[in-house]
Amino acid sequence: MRSRGGVLLANLLTGLALGFTVTRIGFGDYTELNRMLTFQDSRMLLAVLGAIVIIASVFALLRVRRGVGRLHAGVVPGAVLFGIGWAISGGCPAIPLIQVASGYLPALVTIAGIVVGVRLCRWCSGRFFRIDRGSCEG
Amino acid sequence: MTAYWPWWAGAVGLAVLTIGYTLAADRPFGVSGAWERVLHWRREAELERKEAEFTDEQALVAALGAATAEHFGTLPAAPAPAAPVSVSSPEPPDAPATDGRRRGAHPRPAPLVTQAVLLVSIFVGGLIAAVTSGQFHVRSDMGAGYRHLVTGNPVAMVALLFAGGVLVGFGTRLAGGCVSGHGLNGCGRLSPVSLVATATFFGTAVAVSFLLWKVI
Repeated sequence: MRSRGGVLLANLLTGLALGFTVTRIGFGDYTELNRMLTFQDSRMLLAVLGAIVIIASVFALLRVRRGVGRLHAGVVPGAVLFGIGWAISGGCPAIPLIQVASGYLPALVTIAGIVVGVRLCRWCSGRFFRIDRGSCEG
Repeated sequence: MTAYWPWWAGAVGLAVLTIGYTLAADRPFGVSGAWERVLHWRREAELERKEAEFTDEQALVAALGAATAEHFGTLPAAPAPAAPVSVSSPEPPDAPATDGRRRGAHPRPAPLVTQAVLLVSIFVGGLIAAVTSGQFHVRSDMGAGYRHLVTGNPVAMVALLFAGGVLVGFGTRLAGGCVSGHGLNGCGRLSPVSLVATATFFGTAVAVSFLLWKVI
């Protein structure tokens, strides 16, 4: 399934599954997120770690290529900024979408912030810093 | 309180969708990359159109090198010599794929329209889950937890959500990925850059969350 239609179907089904799954895990609930990040409740943390273990095992069995992304100068500063934003807004890039879908209207402001942040990063890239991020697509 | 899935159900769900996408689309999975491409749709559509014009792979590589050099203000790299072709020991059709062609190794991102579909379908999937589980409830705040841990002031809430969103958007694109791209897909591939990024953003989020919980 590598045709344009196949990739379209894969994105459609994966998006539906991701939205459904993260909502039912509780990632859109700020209280649950804070309880995970302060280790008061291990349920969501185990869900993510368990998923990584399963994915790594299956990828190893199927001989899926290990990542080729390079450790460029933007990785650590970018991850620090993301970590701060995640903790204070409760949103990684998919979560505000499911927060709005659950009725949290203020998450629309988080989405507006993400739009500004993504566009700002590309605007700054080349003007104020030059980082070759390679082909990392995540 | 809403009954959420037990940890093992969440782990299986996240793993199945990540593995399924990788095998079906032959591409790494990531949401922040989809945001990036959709929000720069004019430029991305132009790149797709130009790419479709190239039928010769060498010409495409040279053009991509020149465009990269122009974007980053660096000198274009010398074109790599063509790989020697072995006629004495051709790879059998059923042999395991070599490094450049292993599953999930597709060099190009998914077409622009498919990534817009990904973002819309995340919303729809979340809506289905919220409605069917009784979680859906329109509210003008972010819940009791946000009120107690961050702020109960509506103006401060809007300012913090916007600032947080900007940091998430800027940070994920600077780092090259988010929880799905680096955390699930990248760590699942044991990619060193993803392991570093995930440890960093998770550690930072833990530190800020403890500050919010215990100090602020």
